[in-house]
Formats: sequence, structure tokens, C-alpha cells
Amino acid sequence: MTSFQSSLGEDEGIAEELAESQREISIAEFFEKNKHMLGFDSGARGLVTAVKEAVDNALDATEEAGILPDVYVEITEVGDYYRVVIEDNGPGITKEQLPKVFGKLLYGSRFHKREQNRGQQGIGISAAVLYSQLTSGQPAKITSRPKGQSDAQYFELIIDTDTNEPEISVDETTSWDRPHGTRIELEMEANMRARSQLHDYVKHTAVVNPHARIELREPGLEEPWKFERATDELPAETEEIRPHPHGVELGALIKMLEATESYSVSGFLQEEFTRVGKKTADNVIDAFRDRYYGRELAWSPPSARSTVTGATSADVEDAIEAAVANKGADATSAFADGVAETVAGNDHLSRAELETIVGNVADAVEDDTGRTFGSTVRENATRAAWRVVTTGDAGEDDGDEADGDERGVAADDSPIVADLYVLVDEVTSTRKDDEAVRAMAEAIAFRLADLEGDAYRITRDDLDRLVADAANFVDEQHDATFGETARENVVEAVWSRARTVPDDPPKVREVSGDRDAAADLLEAMRGTDILAPPTDCLAPITAELVEAGLRKEYDADFYAAATRDAEVHGGDPFIVEAGIAYGGEIPAEGSVELLRFANRVPLVYQRGACATTDVIRTIGWRNYGLDQPGGSGMPNGPAVISIHVASTNVPFTSESKDAIANVPAIEDEIELAVREAARELKSYLNKRRSMQQRREKQDVLGRILPEMADKVSEVTGRSRPDIDGALARIMNNVSVEREVDDGTVRLVVENHSDVNERLEITDIVSTEPTDLSDGTAVDMDGEWFVQWKPEVASGDERELTYAVDGEADFEVSVGGVETEKLTVNA
Amino acid sequence: MKTDADARDELIDLAADFYDQFAAGRIPEMELPTRTKSNIEYDEESGVWTYGDRTSVRSANSVNGARKLLKAAFTIEFLADQLDADRSSTLRELYYLSESWDNDEAQFNSQDESNDLIEDLEIVTGVTREDFHMRPEESGAKVMGPLRLREQTNRGDRDIHCQLDVGQGGYQIPNNPDTIEFLENDAEFVLCVETGGMRDRLVENGFDEAHDALVVHLGGQPARATRRLTKRFRDELDLPVVVFTDGDPWSYRIYGSVAYGSIKSAHLSKYLATPEARFIGIQPADIVEYDLPSDPLSDSDVNALESELEDPRFQTDYWEEQIELQLDIGKKSEQQSLASRGLDFVTETYLPERLGEMGVI
Repeated sequence: MTSFQSSLGEDEGIAEELAESQREISIAEFFEKNKHMLGFDSGARGLVTAVKEAVDNALDATEEAGILPDVYVEITEVGDYYRVVIEDNGPGITKEQLPKVFGKLLYGSRFHKREQNRGQQGIGISAAVLYSQLTSGQPAKITSRPKGQSDAQYFELIIDTDTNEPEISVDETTSWDRPHGTRIELEMEANMRARSQLHDYVKHTAVVNPHARIELREPGLEEPWKFERATDELPAETEEIRPHPHGVELGALIKMLEATESYSVSGFLQEEFTRVGKKTADNVIDAFRDRYYGRELAWSPPSARSTVTGATSADVEDAIEAAVANKGADATSAFADGVAETVAGNDHLSRAELETIVGNVADAVEDDTGRTFGSTVRENATRAAWRVVTTGDAGEDDGDEADGDERGVAADDSPIVADLYVLVDEVTSTRKDDEAVRAMAEAIAFRLADLEGDAYRITRDDLDRLVADAANFVDEQHDATFGETARENVVEAVWSRARTVPDDPPKVREVSGDRDAAADLLEAMRGTDILAPPTDCLAPITAELVEAGLRKEYDADFYAAATRDAEVHGGDPFIVEAGIAYGGEIPAEGSVELLRFANRVPLVYQRGACATTDVIRTIGWRNYGLDQPGGSGMPNGPAVISIHVASTNVPFTSESKDAIANVPAIEDEIELAVREAARELKSYLNKRRSMQQRREKQDVLGRILPEMADKVSEVTGRSRPDIDGALARIMNNVSVEREVDDGTVRLVVENHSDVNERLEITDIVSTEPTDLSDGTAVDMDGEWFVQWKPEVASGDERELTYAVDGEADFEVSVGGVETEKLTVNA
Repeated sequence: MKTDADARDELIDLAADFYDQFAAGRIPEMELPTRTKSNIEYDEESGVWTYGDRTSVRSANSVNGARKLLKAAFTIEFLADQLDADRSSTLRELYYLSESWDNDEAQFNSQDESNDLIEDLEIVTGVTREDFHMRPEESGAKVMGPLRLREQTNRGDRDIHCQLDVGQGGYQIPNNPDTIEFLENDAEFVLCVETGGMRDRLVENGFDEAHDALVVHLGGQPARATRRLTKRFRDELDLPVVVFTDGDPWSYRIYGSVAYGSIKSAHLSKYLATPEARFIGIQPADIVEYDLPSDPLSDSDVNALESELEDPRFQTDYWEEQIELQLDIGKKSEQQSLASRGLDFVTETYLPERLGEMGVI
């Protein structure tokens, strides 16, 4: 498949939503109503959007085919219309692929593809096709020549606006001078009022795609505008990854459940998601069970309880003996004794745990005595013992109904009330009086009694509600307030004592048919800690090529770039890169130029609403040597800052995808990337300033000293002295130079002055320095300040060394020596 | 006192030093005592405070240093020429005169800069600026009292009696008081007064006549000529000297510069300071004792007092006690506040009492 496909349906989320509510109207009407969202709200903008969609597609197509892109864009006036032609040297396109590529506007049934590609940026070339057709009545004219074919194929494509079906109206063989590639020709109602945005888009595309050759012709340009290739290196191929459990929506999850071939939820999780193995799947399923079934609350067994309730371990034994019939005295006694003992050994106990204990003891007694303890006996024993645990009532089991009724009465001496009393007392503030705590415990116990069955099985949400209800009751009846925090604490205490049930989770089939169950599963997935997604699905431009791109289009004195490591936001990995160009031919007036990119596509509209802009504004640029009126806002000066956010899912502020949303995780990375590049700018500017000072000093001294020599020879009446020696000494003064070699950092201080120099050198290092030659290192918020105070004798030199692990940034400041005397090259 | 030729030779020697440094391939420099509070020391022998051993170097190694030395070279030439021509000029004139020099770098940016340079040259050459024929803009200080003296003026020597031959304003101290010769003295002591208002009050009340006092008007921080003449009164006429100022930290510094020498001109302390001078008041103790009208100490006053506690010149039992007392009461008073007890109180009561206590009268 060519990339054309991958650019489709990326927005099926929104598109589908839109379509659902629009089903009754024609596609033309739908387009008309939603064109602002699709980037076609005006003729000026429509033209830019059409070019953008076509160029993005062209770049994706060529890159996927491993071809260095050569893209030609031409805009011409044709009567009242504009004709847009975009050609690429991609792999071409077959007739069968045509409808899929340029076809239905809302085409797309696949899930969101987790891969970084440009197509995410727009609704797709199909919208441009439709826009052209709706405004000019002309079909899209497509010429394609697959590699190796002698002829090209010419198609005309029209979208039937009633059925939303593409139709190929013309299909003929033609000749084309490109050996392979695709040419799209669209005619549309448009104007060139957005010329500067168009130029920005094309220029910025060239900056961020240094491997592409792009040519633009439009009526306003006297000569074609050509952007040459700066590298032959294609961007790294991206891997498509399975979705991350933290990054899916409910609708998508249900679709995945419907489509999967897995039978169990565990299999489904491991099969369809990235970063989910057996262990993670188990964790998710435990969390799912807690949400789907609820947990069983656990209570303390009689022996562990105070004697207030009266019930003891012996009562458990009695109750079981009474519940077991016809097993012989020895076996019954051994059984009852065994269960009672094991129960007494537990701090807390849920119904399911009790069942397990009964089962285990029964098995053991069966082995010892040869008697059979069937499931009915076991169940009776469990019920009888549970009754003692939860009611303290050792009386004979009168049957199921009576059991339920009795449980319904939360008597003062109920062991459950006693347990809850201890819990509530522990987690609420000491100011609550005893009576209120007891009332709360009773109110909760009373409400718990209404739960179905006798296992005290409840979900966290229900428990929240139940405790809230109990608190309201206590508030009304006893005038004792249990606030938000107290309630949460009580819920947390009860919940953390509850046990996950042993029931098997529902099968995939059941979950997919049950929206609530699916929602429970989604919550469980989000609530479980899962390793961040892999990042090889991202193709950063790389710092090197970000710089090359800037270098290509901006004639500056200085360039810097930084690529951050991948981070994750909501299940989608992302990488931020930043570049800065400074000086040279970049205009010094006004604020700096900000280039914004998402997945290698320039963003040209809504600059003010973009997270990148916000971040740039909050950085204190004065610190980095740029002018910033008022200390905040866009900095001024001859600089270009470019920011690239690459992600499998770049969050935008709106559907027109012009501005990156203010997601804190992404903003943080943008800031770090920009600051990283800005630090290089700062040290460049500092160095330039110190060089300048040094030059100035040499200039001034070179002028003053001869004049002084003249004057003293005049005053003393002697001939002019030779001052070359003095001048030479002044020009060579104190220098600090850095050498970094294989993890060893060496600062060499040379003192050419004629006095001893006591320097204060502070080196700020981004990673922890070790093996300091001398001096001290202090950790300051992840940066290390290494300080030396070397005294260097006249004519002498000193080496200050330390070791760093891997890459590190340095920033040195030198005090103790007059700046004019100092040359820092570090 | 150095002759003009001596002074000129010293200047030329300094220029020759620079020349020799150049010729030896070294960067010209000039070493000066560090002129800070921490680098003044008490000189046992003379009883005044002079610069200690710490020095700083003005070197042509830096842009600023080179500019300073270039200016020094030009100034040396100017001063040497001035001595040759037996002319004199004021410090301010030197500042403006530098505008006429053919080198922009050598021109002074402010008068402070030219004043400082002259002081540097004084220190390095050991010649006072008076001997360079440099004078300050005005001295402003006056003397009134029973003393007859002879002053050399450019219109010849004049004999002047400082009570009989002068008006209400008194005898104007010339810029170079070393040109004065004392002829006949009836004074018993010297009373240096800070403010003009108080001096006028003493003269109007006839204090100089009543007590045979030489009333010297200091006029704020005293000019060198005033301090020099005061020292000569003490040394040559053997008169006790007392200083009468406001009762605030800034006035104590006026006393300090009369008695101990100032930090900026500590190189001339032996020539200017009168270590025997004693402080009459207003003392902090007087504010309490006479219940004088007072103002509260401002923050800067408190800082100044605390800084004086650190000042080596004030590290005597007397001053520590007074300064701590003042910090304690938090008040300051002016000389004129004595008028709250009547216009004659100062001459009839306060000064006689204080002078009596001090054993002067």
C-alpha cells in the first residue's frame, strides 16, 4: 500500500461522529457545513489546504517507497478559477487504489493507526478533491505512472455527492516525462490572499524535510521558487505499533473486542495491545474483576475479635459440627476443628476465602478418614461458619431465608459493626466522638446487609455511594459530620481490606456486547501501571537534520538543535525537537520567527493558540542572550526557532489541526528541547561577546599605549621607547580552554599575565561529574556546579579535570580575573 | 615645603618610570596604597592615621588602566608646564582643560576622575597638590581671633590681624596656608566650628574676644587648607584645638578628618591632621544632659554609626561609649538646637562648661 491509504481515515473518530449525525443529508451539504473544520472555510485558505494535503501525501508516498521526494507545486489562474497541480516522483497509483485514495470523504474503517505520519494532519486529499469539484464542477485529473511502466495512465475522478461514491469517468493511457510518480490537478474557486501562508508552508516544509526537493510556481512569483535537497538521508522508517492500553477510547475498545479472534480477555489484552504480557494482563484483569464483580469484604474471625460479641473459635467449630451430618463423630470433629483453627489463624476473611479453607480442610479430612465431603456438605459448612463470622450467632442454621433476615439486623453486638467501628475509628480524626463513630459503623453495616447474597460483594463505586449514604444518615440523625476526606478514608480502609473475587472474568464475547463491562475493562486498563509504549514508531528528524534544514533555508551565523528522548502522553509516544538559527541574514527587527511542525508538517495558522508559542513566551530569553521586552512574551532579534512534535497522535486544539494543544507533558518537553538549543545559543553569544570584548581591548590598548609612550618620551625628553614587548604581554593574558575527550573533561588555565591569578571557575554540568581533580561539586536540581579556586602563577598553567558519563552539557563561568584579561574558550 | 623645581622633578621622574617600564618590555603600572578604610593604620610616632601596607596597582593591562595611565601622562606634562610657567589652576580648570588635549582618550570624563588622578599623583610623587600649584575651587573657611599674620599674595605680603583688620566674616584662609607667617598671637585656644550659623553666633556674641579664641569655620567637611592651618596653629603656636560640630555621625567624621586625617587623603595625614584636636560636642551625652531638641536617627544614620564603630580611627573608649549611647537613645541634635535655651546659652553656658571640663579654660 502506498501512503495514500495511511492518510485516510485517521480522523475516523471525528469524521464518523460527524457523519452519524449527518446521515440524512448529502455529502455536499455535509462538507458545506463542516468546511471550517476541514480547512476550507475560505477560498484563500482552501488553496493552502489543498496544496498542503497534496504535498503531505506526496512526501509520505515517496518516503514509504524509499524514494527521495521531488515535489512540484504549480498554481495557475484559469479564468475565474485557480488550478493546483502537484506532482511527485512517488511509486504511482493503480486504478484500483484510486477510489480509496481520493474517494469517499468519510472513508475509513480501520482503527487509528499508531504510526507517525503526516496524514494525521488533515482530513485528507479527498476533501480537496471534493472542494474542487463543488466549487468548480471539474473532476480531479490524476496522472500516474508506476515505476517500470512505459506509459502513464490518466484518470478523471468525480465524487457522486448523493452516494459519496467516487467514480472514474475517464481512464486512458497517456505519456508523461516522469519515469514514475503521480500528478494531481484540481481546479477550484480560490484566491491568493493567503500567499504568505502558502509560502510559509512550502518554505517550512523544506526546512523540516531537508531530504526533499520542492519547487513552487504560482502567479505571484516571477521565477519558480526552488528548495534544493540538503541530505540524501531518508527519514527512518516508522514501525506501526499496536495501541497502548492507556491510549484507547471506549468506542475503539469495543470495536477491537468485536474484531479480535481472542477468546479470553487476557488473550485479547496480550494480543491486541503493546506492552501487555501475561503479568500485566493479570493485573488488568484483577482490576477489571474489582470493577466488574466488585470485591468481597473481609471480616475478622471470631477468635481475633474481642469478646464483646461473644462468638469464639469454639462457636465456629460448633456451628460446623451442627451443619455436618452423617460423617461420623471423628471426621466431623476433625473437619470442624480444622476449619475453626485455620479460620482463627486469619486476620481477616472473605466468604470466598472461607470457602477455600473449607474446601482444603475437607480434602485433607477426606484423605485421612476416607469419608467423602461432598459439595453440599462443604457449602453447608461454609454457610454455617460464615454466619458465625458475620453475625457472631453460633445458633443452628435455620435455613436460607432466616439467614438472610437475621443478617439484615445489624445488632449492636454484630461483629461487622465491631470491625467497622475499629476501621472508622482508625481512619477518621480523633475529634470524632465515640458515639458518632459507632453510629457510622452501624449505618454502614446496616446498608451492607442489603447487598445481594451473603458474601458482601460490592464494587468500589457502590461502596462510595453506600458510605456517602451512611454518612448522610449519620449527619441527619446524629448531627455528626463525616466530610469528604473522612468518607474517602473509610471507603479506602474498607476497600483495601476487601478481596478480589476468584470468579473468572467474563469472556471477550460478553464484554464486547456489554457497554458497561467494556467501560469497566477500559477503566481497569487505565488504572493499571503499564510500561510506556515503545518509541520506534516515531521518526524524529534528528538534531543533525533539524540543523541542516535551518542551515539550508536561513543564512545565519549560528545554528543549534536538540532532540529529546521519547515521552508518552495518554498512551501515545511523542518526541520533541527544537532548532535555533541566529544572526546572519535573519532580520534583526521585530520578534523572532517561530516555525511549528507536527509530524513534519508545518503549522501555518493559529500561531497564537499553539502550545509551542505559549512555551516560547514563558521562557526567559534574556537569560539566553535574546532581547525580550518585559522579560516575557515572544523574544526579539535575528533568530528563527523551530519546534517539531512527532507523535502517533499529536493533540491539536481543534479539528482543523493548526495548533498543538496545551498538554503539560508535551509542553514540558517542548520547553526542555528549546532550552537545550537555547543553551548552545547562549554560549555562542557569550563567546562572541567575550571575543568582541577581547578585540575591543586589543584595539583600544593598541591605540592608547603608543600614545602614552609618545607622551612620556615627550615629557622626559627621550626618544620613543620600544613598546612591542609590553603590547605582546597584554595581548596574551589568562585563557581557559575546555578539552573533552572520552568522558574526561579538562579545563586548561594558562596564565600569560605577569601576576599570579586566583581564579574562581564554576562549571555547570548536566550530568554528575566524578573523579574531580580538586574543587567541589554540588548538585543543584539535576545540574552540578563544579567549583575550583585555582591559583595560577604568572607564566604557569593548570589543568582541572573531572569525568562524566556519556554526553553532557557544560557552561563555565570564570571570576577573579578582569574580563578584559580573560579569554574563555570552553 | 618643596620648591617648584623639586615638584617638577618628581613628576618627570614618574614619567621616566613609565618610560623605563616600556623600554624594559613591561606593561607600565603605578602602585598605590589601597585607599580603603581597612587599609589605614595608626602611626604611633605622629599620632595620625596613614595608609597601611596594602597596595593596588594601576596597570595598562586593562582598557581602564591604560586610559588612566595615559591621562596621568598628559596630566604630568600639564603640571610640569604649569610649574615652569609659575602659573596655577584649579582642579575644575584641569578637568575643562583636558578638553583641549589632542587625544580623546586622555580627556577626563568627570571632575571626580581628575581629582582622583591628582591625588594619585600626590601619593606617588610625595608632592602635595598645592606644590603642583593646583587649588580647589574655593576654601570657604574663615578664621576670627586675636592673631596677627603675614600672607604672601601675588600683590605682595600683607599683614593682617584676624580680629582688627577683618570684617564680620573673618580672615579668609588662602589655598596654600603654608604661605602664611604667624606674627603675633594672643589666642588661648582654637575652636573649630562646623556650621556657618554657629560661627556667626559665636562671633556676634563676641566669644572670640571674651575667651581669646581663634574661631575657625570648617564649613562642613573641611578643606585641606583649613586642616593644614589648624595643624599649624597647634604645632607652631602650641594652641589646644577643639572641634564643635552637630551631634550626628556625619559630623563625627568631620572631627575625625581634622584630628586623624581622612581616608582619601591619608597620605597627607602627617601634614594635615591634628591628632591633639579634641571633640567638644554636640556629644550624645549632651543631648541627654541638656535635654536638647532632637530628631530620631534615620536608617542611614544608624548605618553610619555602626560603620564608625568599625572605623579604626574611632576605636577609642570615648567614641565607642558615645556612639553606643547614641545608638541607644536613637537621637541626634544640631549645634543650633542649643538655641532652645536662649541665644546666649551656647556662649554663656555650654561652651564655657565644656571647655572647663576639658581643661582648656
